[in-house]
Amino acid sequence: MMKILLTLEGAEFGFGAREVLRSVSFEAGAGEFLAIVGANGAGKSTLLDLISGFRRPSGGSVIVDGRRVEEYGARELSKRVSHLPQAVHADLPFTAEQLVAMGRYPHTDKWFESEEDHRLVRAAMERTQCWEWRERRFGTLSGGERQRVLLAACMAQQAEVLLLDEPSNFLDIDQQLQCFSMLRQEAERGKLCVAVTHDLNLAMRFCTRMVVLADGVVARDMSVAEAARGGEWLELFSGRLRMEAAGDGTAWVSYR
Amino acid sequence: MRVETARRWVWISAGVFCVATVALPWVGSGGIDLGKVLRREGPDYEILVQLRVSRTLLALVAGAGLSLAGALFQAMLRESLADPYTLGISAGASLGAVVTIAAGLDTVLGLPGTWVGALVGAFAVLALVLGPILVGRSRRQLSAFTMLLTGIAVNSVCAAGILILSSFAGIVRSFSISRWLIGSVDATSYASLGVLGVVVTVGAGFILWQARGWNLLAVGEQWAVSRGVRVGRLMGTGFVAGSVLVAGAIALTGPIGFVGLIVPHLVRSRISPDSRVLMPCAFFLGGTLLAVCDAIGRVVVPPAEIPAGAVLALIGGPYLVWVIRQREAV
Repeated sequence: MMKILLTLEGAEFGFGAREVLRSVSFEAGAGEFLAIVGANGAGKSTLLDLISGFRRPSGGSVIVDGRRVEEYGARELSKRVSHLPQAVHADLPFTAEQLVAMGRYPHTDKWFESEEDHRLVRAAMERTQCWEWRERRFGTLSGGERQRVLLAACMAQQAEVLLLDEPSNFLDIDQQLQCFSMLRQEAERGKLCVAVTHDLNLAMRFCTRMVVLADGVVARDMSVAEAARGGEWLELFSGRLRMEAAGDGTAWVSYR
Repeated sequence: MRVETARRWVWISAGVFCVATVALPWVGSGGIDLGKVLRREGPDYEILVQLRVSRTLLALVAGAGLSLAGALFQAMLRESLADPYTLGISAGASLGAVVTIAAGLDTVLGLPGTWVGALVGAFAVLALVLGPILVGRSRRQLSAFTMLLTGIAVNSVCAAGILILSSFAGIVRSFSISRWLIGSVDATSYASLGVLGVVVTVGAGFILWQARGWNLLAVGEQWAVSRGVRVGRLMGTGFVAGSVLVAGAIALTGPIGFVGLIVPHLVRSRISPDSRVLMPCAFFLGGTLLAVCDAIGRVVVPPAEIPAGAVLALIGGPYLVWVIRQREAV
């Protein structure tokens, strides 16, 4: 039976008078790879902020591994939840390796990382194919290279819930496939991966489930198999989208 | 950078600081006979112990505090041009101290008046600069342009306030104000040095203890929260610790600028941007730089002395222009 790692019960949040999320509820467990999709301003990034503890819900609750997020100490929560924000400043003075090593901070009280921490940092960087740039300053990397470094930092954190806000940003097509393939592998190893994305085809190919946000609520919560069977949910994005079958029978979102 | 290399840089910086502590009191317009000092014979013994050692220690401690405060504000604001001087915090502390001198408040609540005045002034300016950022946590970064303009405005207002106070303070107090404003590292009592030493040690210890948090905060708030930092609490405590360091140093030395800009910038670019290395190195090397500037001021036109603040400004002003030009070139 799947272990439930994340539960949202009527979660609400707004910026001043503007309601962004209105009563969002769903559950997700170990082994799942959730795609959070929706139009711009639907509240996808805000939803990740609520789960990571960066913002507090104005109503309802967000429960991680059986406890409400606000009941955790900051460090305790960071051992369970890792968050890749949508945007990180490009002009950081740190090297790629220093940035990835920050993923180990919640796990140690020592002033510097241990040999074991260095081993995990290297493993994460090799996994996202960025070990060769370890000495380079983050600001000198290309957008795609930076994104791979940030992904490695999330991997090095070894949290059981991975929140990724547009993880394929700036990546070339091959790297996008590798990124989502790697996240799928992480899910299959027992983690819960939650990725905000605008690429419906990537989501349908690699994710196990899709949660569509619209008007601050969960408009659809479906497995990718269900999503592939009927394309009516695509109307939530644009009237120009339609579901088609590729040559091998795989469902494919096309546009006209 | 490997852990061994990082540790080595921290130890080298501490070693330089120690060498400066021992060597710089011997530098001055007149030579000092070691034999006379050991026999406690005047005037060499008094010149060394009462004058040069105390002013060297003051420069080391104040410079260390100001340099560390610069590194702290740069991490908090994600801006390498932020330092107590460019933010206007030094000017605020100066105005606060001048108010107490002009009012003849030698002591306030049992503490030296300039200390209390400088602390209140530093807090007021930092609240003005950082307040909107602390309240609205989504926009933490000040642009360099906004920050420098705010600093210019604060410096101008404080300078005007100081001029007005000097005009109405009477000759004796006006002279005291002018003398304090030169920003020099004069001989001071060992009791005051002891208090400053405790303030800087405690403040620095607290800031250094949070070094990993400053690293995470320099990347971004969401990044920091997701790696175990309580951002609001960290920013608030940084605000208090930074103000205390700046106010404590400036109360005894007068307004000394640029040490918090030059040293962290050099350490970041030449040694490491990692706060666990950057901050202790900036602390030790900042103290050393101010003490060296004070020693240069003692020997360059003997028997006259150039205040350490003036020597540092002659180095720091062109350095700031160079840093801005480098950024534009990038």
